[in-house]
Amino acid sequence: MSRAGNAPELVRASIDRLKSVNPRLNAFVEVFESRALADAQASAINSKRGPLAGIPIALKDNLCLAYGKTTCASNMLRNYESPYTATAVQKLIDAGAIIVGKTNMDEFAMGSSCEHSCFGPTFNPWDVSRIPGGSSGGSAAAVAAGIVPLALGSDTGGSVRQPASHCGIVGVKPTYGRVSRYGLVAYASSLDQIGTLTRTVEDAALALSVICGHDPLDTTSSQEPLPDLLGPLNTPVEGLKLAVPRQARSDANHPDVARVFDEAIATYKQLGATIVDVDLPLLDHGIAAYYIVAPAEASSNLARFDGIRYGHRAKLEQGDDLFDLYCKSRSEGFGPEVQRRIMLGTHVLSSGYYDAYYNTALKVRRRIKQDFDRVFADCHAVLMPASPSPAWKVGEKLSDPLAMYLEDIYTVTINLAGLPAMSIPAGFASVEGKQLPVGVQLVSPAFDEARMLRIARQFERATDQSARTPNV
Amino acid sequence: MSYTAADIDRIKLIVGMEVHVELATRTKMFSRAPSPACPEFDPHDNASVTPNTLIDATVLALPGALPVMNKAAVDMAIKVGLALQCQIAPITKWDRKSYFYPDLPKAYQISQYDLPICFDGSTDVPAVDDKGQVDLEGEPTRIGILRAHLEEDAGKLLHEAPGGGAGGAIDGSIADYNRAGTPLLEIVTQPEFTSSAQVVSFCKQLRNICRFLGVTEGIMQRGHMRFEPNINLQITMKDGKFIKTPIVEVKNLNSFKSVQAAIEYEFQEQPRRYFTERREMGPGTKQTRGWDDRAEGGRGATVLQREKEDAHDYRYFPDPDLVPVVVNDEWKERIRATIPELPLARFARFMDEFALGKKEAAALIDERDVCLFYERTFAAMESLGIDHARAGKLAANILLQSGAKRANEQHVEIHQLGISPEQVASIGKLREDGKLNNQNADELFGLLCKDIHHRDTETQRGHTDSDSSQAAPSSPSTPLSSLCLCVSVVNASSVFPSVEQLAKDRSMLTVRDDAAMSKWVDQAIAENAQAAADVKAGKLAAVGRLVGAAMKHSGGSGDAKTLREAILARLTAG
Repeated sequence: MSRAGNAPELVRASIDRLKSVNPRLNAFVEVFESRALADAQASAINSKRGPLAGIPIALKDNLCLAYGKTTCASNMLRNYESPYTATAVQKLIDAGAIIVGKTNMDEFAMGSSCEHSCFGPTFNPWDVSRIPGGSSGGSAAAVAAGIVPLALGSDTGGSVRQPASHCGIVGVKPTYGRVSRYGLVAYASSLDQIGTLTRTVEDAALALSVICGHDPLDTTSSQEPLPDLLGPLNTPVEGLKLAVPRQARSDANHPDVARVFDEAIATYKQLGATIVDVDLPLLDHGIAAYYIVAPAEASSNLARFDGIRYGHRAKLEQGDDLFDLYCKSRSEGFGPEVQRRIMLGTHVLSSGYYDAYYNTALKVRRRIKQDFDRVFADCHAVLMPASPSPAWKVGEKLSDPLAMYLEDIYTVTINLAGLPAMSIPAGFASVEGKQLPVGVQLVSPAFDEARMLRIARQFERATDQSARTPNV
Repeated sequence: MSYTAADIDRIKLIVGMEVHVELATRTKMFSRAPSPACPEFDPHDNASVTPNTLIDATVLALPGALPVMNKAAVDMAIKVGLALQCQIAPITKWDRKSYFYPDLPKAYQISQYDLPICFDGSTDVPAVDDKGQVDLEGEPTRIGILRAHLEEDAGKLLHEAPGGGAGGAIDGSIADYNRAGTPLLEIVTQPEFTSSAQVVSFCKQLRNICRFLGVTEGIMQRGHMRFEPNINLQITMKDGKFIKTPIVEVKNLNSFKSVQAAIEYEFQEQPRRYFTERREMGPGTKQTRGWDDRAEGGRGATVLQREKEDAHDYRYFPDPDLVPVVVNDEWKERIRATIPELPLARFARFMDEFALGKKEAAALIDERDVCLFYERTFAAMESLGIDHARAGKLAANILLQSGAKRANEQHVEIHQLGISPEQVASIGKLREDGKLNNQNADELFGLLCKDIHHRDTETQRGHTDSDSSQAAPSSPSTPLSSLCLCVSVVNASSVFPSVEQLAKDRSMLTVRDDAAMSKWVDQAIAENAQAAADVKAGKLAAVGRLVGAAMKHSGGSGDAKTLREAILARLTAG
């Protein structure tokens, strides 16, 4: 992020860019033009300049903000205004950041394509006939298209890393507990984590330095002290050991993804890192476990949207009772993917099925953690693809939820293990004459973000992939 | 084999209790919104009873809001658990219990499913006599405590409340979340009660224990404690075989009277139900019923709420928003050290140390605040130089005579009369020194009450005149926070002079004028020659008449005890 220039100019430029490209991207669901410009004016004359003073940013629309709407891209919350601001967002505001708008997403963060939105799909800046990835697709597109240098997303099963990979930018999901979830509208509480989408690793490190830290309002947020993330960025990776799981070299990977991944391995070897082949036998079971744990929690987290206190309430007919109020409000308010996951989650938690599904999934989850622990006993990070394929066509996988779910194969496991991970631009796939970005993913031991960012930064420096921008 | 009512040989009642106690923390179980169960909360302050004023983002379950555990509630739960001889779980966690209802903001209640914070305890329920009075000589019944777990209360739908619904003061349906999120401790006993009197004795004792522990004010009208008996019968037939009737759970009883009535009603009804429906205890036969005290011509009846077949599947699972609670020994012992002497132990001690009768002792432990008032009173007496054992007896006498009488008349408790323990102690001191006779002591007691009572009358009338179910004690009771276990140093010596002055101003003090007294004695003896002769002859019983006569001459300012001594000295000296 450039800290040169003054805030009003930066914000003006951001909004101009937004206005010119957003009609083709549909990345934003709400823009705070006058407020952002006013905030920028105020920032310019503020003597106390935070680390993000005057930087225009965007927020995924599942982050609560005490002005504007917080819709989660759902008809259920289409007119919902939060009376308070999420902790992570407040930290950015306190650091001087200026919020230019809220970004599109898959409804309640459920999806991998940013198509499941009551505001319509977001389009990939590299090819507007394609999806940007999801669920933080709006945030990823906004950063990739040069509207803002930083956007917040949330990552429950890859929702920051996968769109970052598809849009050719840096997406970081910190360790579970690093960033307060207070004010992040919950999808799956034990997996959700706020993450950053930026053009560069350094910007990610800067933003993370601001948003990480314990919050008394979120008892699952960690007390672990946050080390300096920026200082070590330029330390070489020579002598570090990077693990490459055999399971990540799947035949199911798109050939260009496989090629880019091999090139990334070669780059790290050149940089002096040692590549170690390892086994992560449970990687393949991640999807199965994830699609039990996440919907189970979602079914419970989304039960509060009942049409009683806020949110969509259906018009009732003569003779309708309380059950009809619930049933109609929820059927009208939630889109099909959200309904699918609520039903799935309700089923796996119901008596008689709990042990077979939920408890088994928790066991798999523990085993996955153990797998990673074993790898990290010997290695400093794991290197694997972020996504098995580059961005697909809008609508291509909408009617095949299972195919969509499998796109998260390399990311969901990380959330189940609670580990920090990030996607960095690593190359391009050539599909139908278009250049589509492909990322690689780094995974670190818990709370080892500093080294992960350093490993990423050294790659960025060697390849300069993040310098490439799309022509929207 | 189809039995009829004529085949019944005997019927055994089986009851297990579930008791919900609203813990009196300042804030709610998982949020910083103020709790209506807190003693500092005034239910008659209009601002705080306005629906939906004791709320925040977490209570309302706004998107993105998270629960944060209130440690004070966990402290209180541990305290109750230890007082009920429970094991305290070294690790406990929070589970979500899911169901949809408009009073439940998250559509799940945070509760504890398989790892309750307290488990495997027991309590000795004292026997009661025919009048329901605690009988320490009787054999107590040991009742097992299955578990006690923490959870959060739901809100209220005001159309279901008095004045709500069509035509009521409340227009339409209002969901009021003021109560939502209040910490609740649910205590579950083993099904070991065999009589309604036993159950009531347990409920009363539990309320008292909780009040002495300072975890609740235990005001029943405000729903601080709610009782849910699980009732069934074992009916033994004349052929020696027996059947068990389906379990009936009666929900949400908030008076001892309704607990007793509901159990007795079920005891009568279940045999009749069995012989018409032929259903025995077994999976899916449990019924949930409510208590309607206006049913059946005011005798009251239980009414069916739902059958277990259509019970909810609560889909319990661990709440991912909250971390498990680890209770180490240090924490447990810190709480144990704060547990005061429990009411039954005090009961026994009062009888032992102060030679109080059973009835007197029972009256003094019945209400926590009265008991604390009593203890402060005798401690103040001791500080005025009265011997410990004597102080205990004297304080009991004054409070249970002058105090109880007035408390009864005014429908308050003794500690709410407006007189302070130090003032009562001062009266006792004046009595002990022979400066105040019985009648004047009582009058002085009344004067000291009235001072404050006048000020309170207005508000008091306002409260008690409203719907009786809403009536609550008006004077603030001892705040739980200041409820210390032993009585701290009481500075009665600073109060004493003003009490003595008041008595002096009202000419209540016994005249210590020996010449005057000598005159009254002379007059009494002169008028009652026969009685004087009898006393001289050793018939001491006759002295009463002489004392009475001398008192009359004193115009009530004499002290009976002193006069008696003077008369005896006069008559036996010669």
